[in-house]
Amino acid sequence: MSKKAVTLLVMFLTLGLFVAGCGDEETGSGDSGDGETVKFMHLWPEGSSAEHNRIVKDIIADFEEENDGVTIDLEVLSNEQYKDKLQVLSTSDELPDVGMTWAAGFMEPYVEGGKFASLDDIVEGDLEDTFVEGTTEAYSVDGTTYGLPLELNTANVFYNKTIFDEYGLEEPETYEEFQEVIQTLAENGETPIALGNKDRWTGSLWYMYFADRIAGPGALTEAIEGDGSFTSPELTQAAEEVQNLVDMDAFNSGFNGLSDEEAKSMFMNEQAAMYLIATWDLPNYTTNEDVPQEFRDSVGYFDFPTVEGEGDMDSYVGGPGVGLFVSENSEVKEEAKDFASFFVEQWGEKSVTEAGVIPASKVDPESLDLPDMYVEVLNDLNNASNITLFADVQMSSDAADVHLDQIQALFGNEITPEDFAEAHEEALSEEE
Amino acid sequence: MNKVMSNKWMIAIYILPALILIGILIFIPLILTAYYGLMDWDGIGTMEFIGLENYINAVQDVKFWDSAWHSSLLAVFSTLSLGVYLAISMILASKIKGSDLLRKIYLIPMLLSSVAIAQLWIKVFNPQNGVLNQLLLAIGVETPPNWLSDPDIVLYAIFIPILWQYAGFYILIYYAALKNIPESLIEAARIDGATPIQIAYKIKLPLIKGVVKVTVVLAIVGSLKYFDLIYVMTGGGPNGASEVMASYMYKLAFSTNDFGYGSAIGFLLLIITLIVTVIVRKLTADEEELQY
Amino acid sequence: MNRLGYLILYICLGLVALFQILPIIWLFLFSLKSNREIFAGSPFALPSEWRWENYLTVWEGGIGTYFWNSVWITVVSIILTSLLASMATFAITRMQWKLSKLVLGLFMVGLMIPIHSAIIPLFSMFLNVNLIDNPWSIVITYTAYNLPITMMILLGFYYTLPREIEEAAVIDGCSIHRMFFRIILPMTTPVLSTIVIINMIYNWNEFVFVNTFISSDGYKTLTVGIQNFIGQYMTDWGAIGATLIISLLPILLAFIFFSNKVVEGISSSAVKG
Repeated sequence: MSKKAVTLLVMFLTLGLFVAGCGDEETGSGDSGDGETVKFMHLWPEGSSAEHNRIVKDIIADFEEENDGVTIDLEVLSNEQYKDKLQVLSTSDELPDVGMTWAAGFMEPYVEGGKFASLDDIVEGDLEDTFVEGTTEAYSVDGTTYGLPLELNTANVFYNKTIFDEYGLEEPETYEEFQEVIQTLAENGETPIALGNKDRWTGSLWYMYFADRIAGPGALTEAIEGDGSFTSPELTQAAEEVQNLVDMDAFNSGFNGLSDEEAKSMFMNEQAAMYLIATWDLPNYTTNEDVPQEFRDSVGYFDFPTVEGEGDMDSYVGGPGVGLFVSENSEVKEEAKDFASFFVEQWGEKSVTEAGVIPASKVDPESLDLPDMYVEVLNDLNNASNITLFADVQMSSDAADVHLDQIQALFGNEITPEDFAEAHEEALSEEE
Repeated sequence: MNKVMSNKWMIAIYILPALILIGILIFIPLILTAYYGLMDWDGIGTMEFIGLENYINAVQDVKFWDSAWHSSLLAVFSTLSLGVYLAISMILASKIKGSDLLRKIYLIPMLLSSVAIAQLWIKVFNPQNGVLNQLLLAIGVETPPNWLSDPDIVLYAIFIPILWQYAGFYILIYYAALKNIPESLIEAARIDGATPIQIAYKIKLPLIKGVVKVTVVLAIVGSLKYFDLIYVMTGGGPNGASEVMASYMYKLAFSTNDFGYGSAIGFLLLIITLIVTVIVRKLTADEEELQY
Repeated sequence: MNRLGYLILYICLGLVALFQILPIIWLFLFSLKSNREIFAGSPFALPSEWRWENYLTVWEGGIGTYFWNSVWITVVSIILTSLLASMATFAITRMQWKLSKLVLGLFMVGLMIPIHSAIIPLFSMFLNVNLIDNPWSIVITYTAYNLPITMMILLGFYYTLPREIEEAAVIDGCSIHRMFFRIILPMTTPVLSTIVIINMIYNWNEFVFVNTFISSDGYKTLTVGIQNFIGQYMTDWGAIGATLIISLLPILLAFIFFSNKVVEGISSSAVKG
């Protein structure tokens, strides 16, 4: 080969790299003839969430059939990847036309940055009276709704009836009874409660319930919003009770290094008697065929007990999971809104009967063929006096990170309840 | 000779493709990172120029310096481990029976992705069912440690899989370097009556010195920006006890909507790495190298 | 060394080898278990029921396309990285020019960028040139991000190449290209095999870039296939294990092939030299 030929070859190779891609036709919105394309991103991959994934596909197919010329362009990512990608897309103003968002703290930066469209027209129009009371509020900023909630979860203590029966234990209704249960289990060498606090929000649930029972349903929210204080005696006591439980050996050892998934598996393998988790886990205890029938039959749940006679057992910690947003800068905003609205209408009953999701839209448990535990949970929801939104969801992401780290430190006995309260006040005051 | 080897055209042809590529794909993002560091930006809404505020905050940020300390510890341990890897490579590269098979087996774990390695070691470290604690219980340790949840231990516990993960990488490089030594040199020494240990020290080591220096830099740089297993196995916890610079940066930029501040941390990470590398290069430089 | 010494040495080497092979066995067993068994039982316990359906699940998840994408993206990136890195290292170590040290420094700085800092700038750059959701964005990113480390590894070897070779070549009237492609490259086969292995592992297992720059299913790679089994509240670990085993096989074969080249190279080039 001549010298020149090689030189040229090398240069073309380099240039070719850059040119190669540029020629390819653009995929994505707006290039499929005269029809409109709505880009939709969700986080239910086929492999892990088969039913969710199929329902979404069905809804899309129905929508496309009803709306001639509109195509839905779908991208599916897993949870973590979804969050990261949404942020990257947002920096370049490339958000999908319709996508999924979490409530409050996660959503606020997107709303303040003008990325999400107001959905008031839908919530007050086609979907009026569709949602369970209070769920759309979690997706509102300054009175405007930016998300259509799809799920509603509340946290409950699930327990293993077989283990409880073995030691003659019953569902506790007061904290004293609860402590006795823990003591009996611990003395008999059982792990009373499975906790995976590497994920941090898991521990937060415990603190939140103590806060709710001791300081009253509104106290934590007020403290987060600056109308109350974490340093109040009641909220400090809530933190103290968390450490009391830890000192009683209520939780499995090494919980700060275990993921929720590992803790769940302890519960599901009958290595722990109780497990505090939200109702998204219901399929595992009812319909999931991969879990042995025997185990599913042995699981019950109870509401978090009252503490020192205080507290309302109809008050829950929970909140909507994901909801739909419509991008403010979408070129097909009308179609996107139509799709989001259509999605929610179809989602409600299908999601609970086929995928075991507790939807944020109202469903009538009596009219559907559902496992008993679902009916019970849905009835609880109807009778709920209050649902306090998960603290880490309520807070801005900065404050949430402090909260979650402090939870780990509190459970790890690295700090005192007073330090815990101070750290929260400090983090929240920086927000102002 | 010199004329041919200093032809500007030729130099350009050989160096420019690589240089242009990293210029566009690495240096532009790098400059942008430094630039985003000057902004108050959540990575979503509009940016606001705030000068050096992020950098000043970072310098006073205890969490940042803790994470930098953790990263530095990892760098020290990684560098020290190179000695072990080198010794193993020397054994594998010597002409003992079965060395070829052994080498392949030794390097297999490096093919695993971080997802697999993380899952494996989570199972090793599990406080109840974990392989390690079962073993400790069996030999009579009454309260084996909670490897990943004890803030005093977690950092060192998580170094083990990281060092293990990279063993193959360095062994492979050392092995290739050792195989590059002309057999005649070693043969001559052997005839002169040198023992295997003497050959290793007096002949092999000096000959692969350049490669060793490079691996020291790679180990330090790799450790200072290390992210994968820490993120999957502990997420930097509990309460920051295993946070390293890259995981802290990621947390700020992607989880807590402080993209501006996260970028500033990212840029400082680079500056720290750069300073350490320059110092190490200076310390290990010798005359021989200066000729080139 | 005496017999006892060798015996002890072999026992030690054997133990380490055993230790290194266990992860593969573990992963294989892992891929045949259900979530319950994976979390509860001993990692090395045999599955109570060999769930080959995990592999079926993975196969039906459309892994074929991902697989092919992984292969070609990895191969093209490796070729580009090896070639460009060899050329640049050759220019820096063997040619004489003033700025060589500075340029080398630039490549070393390239080694230090944390990838999470680079994602957002890269995304907007690719968006501007219309390379988002285009596999070539992945190829050039892999090439660029592996260049510095590849060059660092090559560097140590290029320094040790004897100068006489070039002198002889120049006296023979050999052009630079001829010298590089016909003499230098073949001489560096052992280290080239090493960097091929290292690049292969990096590219094959990478997912942050793919996940960010690619959105069409048709362009995604195997590591994204794993994401398919990670759910909002639940993860199918058995299927992930199966995906990991499937994706391990090709690089295991390639590794064994190139691993032999690490040894072969030197003897064959020594003959030529």
